[in-house]
Amino acid sequence: MFWAYVPYMLAGVLWTFALVGGGLGLGFLIGLPIAIGQVYGGRVVKAFLDVYVWFFRGVPLLVLLFLFYWGVFPALGHKLPALEASIIVLGLRSGAYQSQIFRGAIESVGEGQMVAARSLGMSRVSAILHIILPQALRIAIPGWTNEYAILLKDSAICFTLGVLEILTRTRYVVIATGEALLPYITAGFLFIFLTYGGTKVFNVIYEKTRIPGLVWRM
Amino acid sequence: MDVVLRAEDIHKSYGKTKVLKGVSFEVGRGETKVICGPSGAGKSTLLRCLNLLTRPDKGRVWLEDVELTSPSVNINKMRQKIGFVFQEFNLFNHLTALDNVMIGLTKVKKLPKDEARRIAKEALLTVHITEDLWNKYPAQLSGGQKQRVAIARALAMDPVIILYDEPTSALDPHLIGEVLEVMKELARRKVTGLVVTHEIGFALSVADEIMFMYNGRIVERGPPKEVVFNPKHEVTARFFKRISELYGGRK
Repeated sequence: MFWAYVPYMLAGVLWTFALVGGGLGLGFLIGLPIAIGQVYGGRVVKAFLDVYVWFFRGVPLLVLLFLFYWGVFPALGHKLPALEASIIVLGLRSGAYQSQIFRGAIESVGEGQMVAARSLGMSRVSAILHIILPQALRIAIPGWTNEYAILLKDSAICFTLGVLEILTRTRYVVIATGEALLPYITAGFLFIFLTYGGTKVFNVIYEKTRIPGLVWRM
Repeated sequence: MDVVLRAEDIHKSYGKTKVLKGVSFEVGRGETKVICGPSGAGKSTLLRCLNLLTRPDKGRVWLEDVELTSPSVNINKMRQKIGFVFQEFNLFNHLTALDNVMIGLTKVKKLPKDEARRIAKEALLTVHITEDLWNKYPAQLSGGQKQRVAIARALAMDPVIILYDEPTSALDPHLIGEVLEVMKELARRKVTGLVVTHEIGFALSVADEIMFMYNGRIVERGPPKEVVFNPKHEVTARFFKRISELYGGRK
């Protein structure tokens, strides 16, 4: 009977959260410095970062997962558990996408802000920290919300490594009960609910951090 | 005369376009000097070369007894002493009026918050930004208020000189007066200033000298009344004739 398995499926939400939270967090730590480097870095730095972004945006997620899980990590001497490997791959990839969100945000802050900061005697680093990023991060929130919604559903592909997230559990339930329709519909609703709830949270953050009176010209 | 800013033979090109072709002048302590001239004359570029927001190709700049253009100079340190007021205000969007004025004091001069707040409030009152506006964000202020906050931001740093780059050009006509009034007050208080502007009334009432720029050079300079009403150079005469036709001799 399917309904007996619902708690088992619900427990997958925690695993999905781990994948999405870990992936977004790691992606942030990678993406923001990449964006700063792409906007303010020298030619060599830019070229190097371009290659990173090009690779992780270009290769399909499934290929990345297999490549790192069975290839890269073992070659580095650490055959990682599926969850950790998945989080790292999602983070590396999300970092490439997030870097472009942040780059666009930094560029739309406007050159005048940097020039004004420098004219006060601020160093470049200090200006980026105190003037550019506080504005760019606000601008980036809507794009970042989008990245959350995309990564949430991308995380389901980690079923291929057997990570016990929502979709993996759904497949097990299908096998155990012989029922397909109800489990998949339930999984679908879980994802819809998580997307809705998450974007709501980010929208609240966006509104709360909004700069009074300001409309960004983008 | 105690010279605080000296520019010597400044050259700057962008690609093949020579924007500045050897500009030299000095500003004494307490003086207000005005630079005017048609667009494309190199006025803004010259101003940016003075605090090295743009690096001149050739020539030297001194602030008091330090050569800014020397490679060994810590330019961040020196820029604290040069106020800069932009045509487009460039207030920090995410900070209130008060924080805009404070941030240079706390993050650059590393003053304690209390002291920074006291200095910032004083600077805001000097430019007639009253307490009800201190917690407003730039987007909630009028153009004239924004530019006065920007002047306060420069003033609070206690600069040796303030450079103004067409400070009223982006303002609606009815807001120009309040900004010019503040600038005149500062000039009368002997805050040293170098002002790029087309506001002849301002120049006539407070400037010690007008420098007229044309085609990358200072072609004429002298006491404001002399240069405006009795120009020696033909381009200068044509320029001031146009300006006075346009503004009807507003003071």
